[in-house]
Amino acid sequence: MSKVIEGLKYTEDHEWISVEGNIATIGITDFAQSSLGDIVFVELPEEGETLEASNSFGVVESIKSVSDLYTPISGKVVEKNNTVEEGPETLNDDAYGSWLIKIELSNTSELDSLMDSKAYTDYCEANS
Amino acid sequence: MSQKTSLYEEHCALGAKMVDFAGWDMPIQYKNLKEEVTAVRESVGVFDVSHMGEFFIEGKETYKFLDYLLPNHIEKAALYKAVYSPLLREDATIIDDLIVYKLSESKALICVNASNIEKDYNWISEQIKNFDCELSDHSEKYSLLALQGPESENILSQILDTDLSTLAYYGAKETKALNADLIIARTGYTGEDGFEVFASHETIKVLWKEMMIKEVKPCGLGARDVLRLEVCYPLYGHELSDHTTPYETGLKWTVKNDKKSYIGKEALINSTPKTKLIKIILDKGIPREGYQLENQDGVLLGEITSGTMSVVLKKGIAIARVDQEKFNKDDEVLVDIRGKKYNAQIVTKPFVSGGHK
Repeated sequence: MSKVIEGLKYTEDHEWISVEGNIATIGITDFAQSSLGDIVFVELPEEGETLEASNSFGVVESIKSVSDLYTPISGKVVEKNNTVEEGPETLNDDAYGSWLIKIELSNTSELDSLMDSKAYTDYCEANS
Repeated sequence: MSQKTSLYEEHCALGAKMVDFAGWDMPIQYKNLKEEVTAVRESVGVFDVSHMGEFFIEGKETYKFLDYLLPNHIEKAALYKAVYSPLLREDATIIDDLIVYKLSESKALICVNASNIEKDYNWISEQIKNFDCELSDHSEKYSLLALQGPESENILSQILDTDLSTLAYYGAKETKALNADLIIARTGYTGEDGFEVFASHETIKVLWKEMMIKEVKPCGLGARDVLRLEVCYPLYGHELSDHTTPYETGLKWTVKNDKKSYIGKEALINSTPKTKLIKIILDKGIPREGYQLENQDGVLLGEITSGTMSVVLKKGIAIARVDQEKFNKDDEVLVDIRGKKYNAQIVTKPFVSGGHK
């Protein structure tokens, strides 16, 4: 059973989002890291890039697969996690402790369509 | 509706991730691909490759026919030996690659790729008409296990209660064990020492169970692909195809032009290779099939036919097909990965040297 953390928001693409003020932090969930298997490469956008909701903002690669990362929210990238780019395996070790990017929100109403931990747990069960 | 091997339930019970491969529901990986690759390189792993096709050629002219059908030496090879060869059309393009197992003076087993069973069968049955031998397809009667890794001999000898130390690399024999008929060959697709065992579905199920008891690691097609790519074995549909010749695919060593004739000989010796395969390593980024290669001047050189992250080297590795006219061995080679250019280093030896005998 994959770990789901209360208080975070979730997408159908298995990303988690935590919001503080107008800054959203995005990562991939435990379910995502476990279905990807050994993560060996991560590519993230540069700071300052502007993203539109549902755009691909990077990739995570396992030995055999390439998966796009999608942002559920629009805004400017204010920080990326270099540690994850340098050591992608940290995503397997601790998916919730290894954030990918921080975005300055341009439209907070986009957060309304995200799932809470209960809805996401049900979603994972239905998709596993 | 995809086909299932006799071990389908075992794969599911082990929690394997199943995918469609050439119309078969096959395990791509069990728990952890990296551990599966490492098991084969360092100890032992087993692959269910029952999807592959098995044909028999039987009759007085079996080897005369196979010498005509295939560019490699079959007749000359010793009895109880296996021989790898491409299967060519008259125009020297590759129908498939296969292994011939010389089981007796008048009987050979041919193991072919699952995706090409029908194509190969139709082609071979057309060619065999004027020879005193018969072709038969036994793909549905046989299951096939590949036990691979340095511990293979030890494990299989124990399970079958047979001494396998006398079976040489690329040796093959028919034998009786587990109260059944088996064909055992010291062959594989990983670069490591190992065995392939052809037997009835029931016998293979027994063998699989014994291997699980001995804690042999079950390995999926994902690990198999990484292992074969690390040692640079070509794969049909990637490096080999209906549109390329052996000379364009690094298979010159399988072509024996001292033979009076074989199908495709004339076209091949008169051909000018337009493309060739190169091997590349990346310090950063993972090359994947279809990614394009260019030189320092932005000239498109070709594209990747197979790529992955090497488990042994922990670097991106790939085989690529490049245009002979555009590619210069002193060129810098760059791989386009999602619009970014990554430097590639060309190597001439396999990325990993397997430990096979």
